[in-house]
Order: sequence, then C-alpha cells, then structure tokens
Amino acid sequence: MLSLGLFAAMVAGVALGAVSVAPGEVLGALLRAVTGAASGLSDTLIVGVRLPRVVLAALVGAALAGAGTLYQALFRNPLADPYILGVSSGAGLGAMIAFVATASATMLRFGVVPLAAFAGAMLTMLLVVRLASTRGRLDPTSLLLAGVALSYTLAAVTSFLMVVSRAQMSAIVYWMMGGFSQASWPYIAMIAPMFVLGVILPLLSTRELNLMLLGDERAGHLGLSVERFKLLMLASASLMTAAAVAVAGLIGFVGLMVPHMVRLVLGPDHRRLLPASLIAGAIVLVLADLVARTIIAPIEIPVGIVTAVLGGPFFIWLLVRGERRR
Amino acid sequence: MSPDPTHPPSPYSTIADKMTVDIASLLAYAAATVGYGDTVVVADATLEVRAGEVVGLVGPNGAGKSTLLRAVTGDADLLGGTLSLAGADSASLSAVQRARLVGVVPQQVTAAFSVETREFVTMGRHPHLARFAVPGARDLEVVERAMRLTDTLHLAEKPTDELSGGDLQRLALAQALAQEPRLLLLDEPTSHLDLNHRLQVLDLVRDLARDEGIGVLAVFHDLDLAARYSDRIAVVAAGTVAPAQTPARAITTATVREVFGVRAVVGVDPVTGTVSVTPVLRDGAVAPVARGRVLVIGGSGCGSQLMRRLVLEGWDVVAGALNAGDADQALAEALGVGYALIPPFAPMDADAVSHVAGLAASVLAIAVSDVPFGHGNVDNLRIVAERAESGTPVVLLGDIEGRDYTDGVAGQLWARARAAGAHQAPDVDGALRLLESADRE
Repeated sequence: MLSLGLFAAMVAGVALGAVSVAPGEVLGALLRAVTGAASGLSDTLIVGVRLPRVVLAALVGAALAGAGTLYQALFRNPLADPYILGVSSGAGLGAMIAFVATASATMLRFGVVPLAAFAGAMLTMLLVVRLASTRGRLDPTSLLLAGVALSYTLAAVTSFLMVVSRAQMSAIVYWMMGGFSQASWPYIAMIAPMFVLGVILPLLSTRELNLMLLGDERAGHLGLSVERFKLLMLASASLMTAAAVAVAGLIGFVGLMVPHMVRLVLGPDHRRLLPASLIAGAIVLVLADLVARTIIAPIEIPVGIVTAVLGGPFFIWLLVRGERRR
Repeated sequence: MSPDPTHPPSPYSTIADKMTVDIASLLAYAAATVGYGDTVVVADATLEVRAGEVVGLVGPNGAGKSTLLRAVTGDADLLGGTLSLAGADSASLSAVQRARLVGVVPQQVTAAFSVETREFVTMGRHPHLARFAVPGARDLEVVERAMRLTDTLHLAEKPTDELSGGDLQRLALAQALAQEPRLLLLDEPTSHLDLNHRLQVLDLVRDLARDEGIGVLAVFHDLDLAARYSDRIAVVAAGTVAPAQTPARAITTATVREVFGVRAVVGVDPVTGTVSVTPVLRDGAVAPVARGRVLVIGGSGCGSQLMRRLVLEGWDVVAGALNAGDADQALAEALGVGYALIPPFAPMDADAVSHVAGLAASVLAIAVSDVPFGHGNVDNLRIVAERAESGTPVVLLGDIEGRDYTDGVAGQLWARARAAGAHQAPDVDGALRLLESADRE
C-alpha cells in the first residue's frame, strides 16, 4: 500500500508544478522515454526536469528516514537522528569544503562533493563514537551529548566558511536550507550507489535491529556481536546521510520524525518498520518538494521549511492520538 | 517438571556436538579475576558449575556476585585467570556460540520499545536461526514450551510495555529458555516476583537442572531461598569467593555475621528441612555506648527479647544455664553471648551451677526473665538471690506467681532476692530502664 502511495506521490510530483501536466500525460511521456520515442517540450519537461527532481527527492527522503530509523534503533532513543548526532553537520562541512574548493570546476564538484560529504559524515560519526566510548563500550547518553556538542562546533565552522566565501554565499545558503532545484540525472547517478550501499546491510539485518531494542547487553546475550554490528550500522547510516546532504543540503524533520510516525502506526518491529520508513520518507519528501515549488509558484521555497511546517503539527497530532489510545 | 511426551526435552544439537565438550563442567572459573577496565571487583575466584546442579551465589551488595556472572557474557572483563564454558575458553567463543550455551536472566528487564510478548520470547531463538531464516515449527514449539513452563502463555498477545516487573522477569526467563541453553545464569531471578511465582520459578529452575542436566549459577539475596534451591553455595564477600559448599556448611551464624554484619539465628526449617536464617540484629544497629556486663536468666525463649534488647543497647550480655536446642540457646549463639550450656531437657549439674555462679560474680547487674522455674533450673534463681544479698543490682521481670513449679522453693528464693533489694519490672522496657539506672550508678 505504501508503495502505491509512493507511486501516486511521484506521479503527482511530476505532473504538478508551475506548468501542470495531466497524470495520463506523465505516464505517456515516461513510456515514450523508455521506448526512446521522446519528443516535444512537455516530454523534455517531464523526463528531463520534473522526473529527476522527484526521483532525487524520493531517494533523499528514503535515505534520511532510513538513517534516522537506524540511529533510533541503535541508541534506543527516539530523539536520535542524523542531525542530533552531528553526522549531518559533518557531511555538510565536508560538502561545504569541497563546494568552496571546487568553486570554478562545476563538473569536478559532482564527484568531489558527495565523497567529501561521506568523509565528513564518517569522520564525525567515528569522532562522536570515540568521544562517547569508555573502554570500548558506547554509552547512548554520552553519544547524544557528544553528537550535539560536535554538531554545534561543525555548524560554526560551516558558518565561518560561508562568511569568508562571500562570492558563493547565496548559493551556499540555498543549498544549506535544503532543496532539489539543482536536480538532474547526473545527481541521481551520483548518490544512488551510495544510497543502495548504505541501505542494503540494514535491510538484511532487521532481526538484529530488533534485538538492539532489548539493550546492548541483552542483544549480546542473545548472540549478537553488538559493537561490530553497531559500527556496521553506523557506517550504513552515515553513507545514507552523506548521500542526502551532498545533493540536498540540510533537510530537517524527515530523519527524526518519519521513523517515529511509522513506529506509532506499525510498531517497533524493524522487519516492517525499516522498509516502511524508507518508503514513507520518500513519499514525505516528494510531497514536501511538491508543496515547496507550487505553493507560491513560480517562487520556490526551501523544502526544509515545508518539512518543518508540515511535519511538526502532524507529529504532535500522532503523539496526542497515541496518548489517547492508551 | 515431569517428562512431557508432546514436548520432549530438546536434544542438544548445537555447538555442543561440534566441540569437544567437557559435559561435567559447564562453567569453570580458575583463579579468575574479574572487573571493569582496571578496576578489580572479584579477585582469584575459583568456582565450577557442573551439569545438573544449581550453584547459588550469596553475599552483600556490591560484593561482585553480578560481576562474576557478567564476566561469563563478556559484560564484565576477565582480568586474570581463566574462564571456560563447556570446556572451551570463553573468550574464544563467538557471540552466537556463547548464546547457544548460556542463557541469562538479568536483574532488571526493560523493553524500551513495546514488542508483543510472544515476539519477545521468540527473540531467544536468534542464536539458532540462520541469517535470513524465519522461525520454523520447531522454533515456535520451543517458544511455546518456554512460555508454558514460565506461566506466561496467557500474556502472549500483550505488548511488553504493559507488563508488570514480575511478568517481565518471567518473560526474560522464557526468552533465556528459548535459547535452549545448557547453562543458566540468574541474577536475582525472583526479585520482582510474588510469593507464588517466586517458588514456581525456582522450582522450575531446579527441575530443569535435575531433569535436563542444565547447569545453573544463580545470585540470591534471600538466604533461605538460596539454601532451599542450591545444591552448593559460594559466599562472595569483599572481592573474594569462598569455596562452594553445601548450604548447611556455607550458611552459618558465623558467616552471616562476618559477611553481612548481621547476627542471625541459623537453624533448620522444620517443614522444608533446609537451612533457615532469622536475622536478629545488625551489628551497625548496636548502640555505640559501652555499658557494663549483665547476666540474663532465661530459657525456653523467655530470655530472647531481653538478650536482644540488651545487646542492642550496648550491654555486654552473658546468660545463665541454657539447654542445647532451646530457643534462647540458639539466640545466644547468634548474638555471640556467653552462657552455660546444659544438654537438652537436662537439669543443671554442678558444672553448670559453678559456671553460672562465676558469670554472676563478674557482672554489673542481673536480669531475670519471666521463665518458669522447675527443679532443673531453679539453681539459677538461687545464685541470683545470693548475688542480690551481696549487693549486685537485680531486676526481676513479672511476678513469680504461676511459674513456680518447685513446690515453693523458687517463691522463697524470689522473696529473698526482693528482700535484698531486687527490683521488679512489669515488662522488658521497664527492666531495661531499671538496668540503665543501675549502669549509671
């Protein structure tokens, strides 16, 4: 059902915009593109502009929601997400450095920015893990604290870089607020492998993720090599976060809220929760992007604003409903 | 647990077959030092758990009982010596291999996220499931049996976050049993359970040991339960582990006082036939003031309250002649009070009389409990009367009326003591006040 929802959301995302196209026309254009018979302005708009944008939004949404689900499971804390742990800021700083360094080489940027984002994410994650470890053990509370502290520090460095590279300030600001206006097929080709690489291991480890809900020690008692498993999962989550941040900047809410919403509806079993969160994250971001570019068209607002404005109240509604049910 | 034809005991088809296994010794600490990082909690521990036996660990809080258990699962560090599981070095086992051998019931069970109870127990099958396998018919059967044995089947559809601490504790045991372990580690497995479930869980654990040859290492806080359900008990105190012994040898008045700082009557429960511990007083509760020495004339339990209260208030208590096996004699042993011993139901002999007379001559004051006097113990009263006449302060509890079985001999001695200035007190509190004023003088 969620998959159908995603399909519908993507068709709507492609169809609607400053120039709207009928849903039937969208499917027709896709068919022509596949058969190599594309022609006309509307086909170009659909296949060359709208479709990559929607696909990218779906990928980023899935990546952020997937990463959030993993962090929340590993730390048994619904507050854990790529932002709180500093991973997003790390990815952001990495991407920013690459961004500034490759100011005059647009093509180079494609290859370097996501790699730098991943390097930043991974370095941050490892640093946070190291800061929060005592005698080889990760303490969930110190982890969150270290993440928050590092997140602020990295954000400050990022802001400083922004100020000193005035020439690109507006582009950087827009990128940082999060958005898909630059979306194109090369972007997708760039982050799709990162996303797949990051998501595959967690999807194959849902039973182990369930064990983590019982606590590190208990999971160990039941046969899980906890520390190794955690590091693998953290690497996977960092990969997904980096993929998202590299192309879309910092988009809040999705990584934190989507897994939480899905959990309220489907429960905490990762065999359902993880796949559902991936799809729900994709839907949410496709729809949010749709709103971002249509609500005061032709002006686009950053998608991060939309996710925050729509997500906050929805989340509160879910919480209140969950309380009443008890 | 009787053999159940529909659910036969699970064959140990796991790692045990693939390894050379020393069946007798499931868990062995050899000069093992355990702790966390650089901090040693228990040093040089040697202890073995064999198939089919329940070994109890008792000792004060923070003595290292839990740390010993945690070292088995790698949650605490082995800092020296060796620790072997079913004959293999425990460090050489993978997490899965270990989980097939060892089931753990932790002290505190929590489920941060709500899971359906049956699902929670099924997680215990994890070490037996191949990477992408879903639990099969046999797995579900093992889960069903574990829930039936732990009396949790009726909770199967409930979410774990709606359960009580006791239910969660039994579910944790069910989860551990679903692992089909050969060794069970229980850390105060009944701390949250009501009386009925406490016995039920421990009965189950003992039966699993006897019928299926599971080895059990369990931390107990309740000494009676430890004695009742353990084949052997090791006392853990101040970072050391005493050799495991039978409950009667491990739990004595002396160990309870030394290890817990509690003076206790340690006897045999007449119903269960196992060691039973009645705590009398904490050493820490004894008043810091040092009062003089007092002789208590008791017997048949009549002197117990007086002796306990006097010891608590800082008196150096000695007791008159007490029959072996008498309640007052057991208490005198527990309190470490000196007394003259006479055989069960026997009258005082010349030795006992001179012993009591010697004690009476050494004290600051004498307290006579409301014990009935017969020909066997009236010599106590004779000594009291003589001491009263030579000026020792004497407090008599109650009246002699109704407890003189000596055709008036006790009554005359009582009157002699009164005439010599002995005080009469209506109750224990009154007697204590009188003795206090005697002590001040």
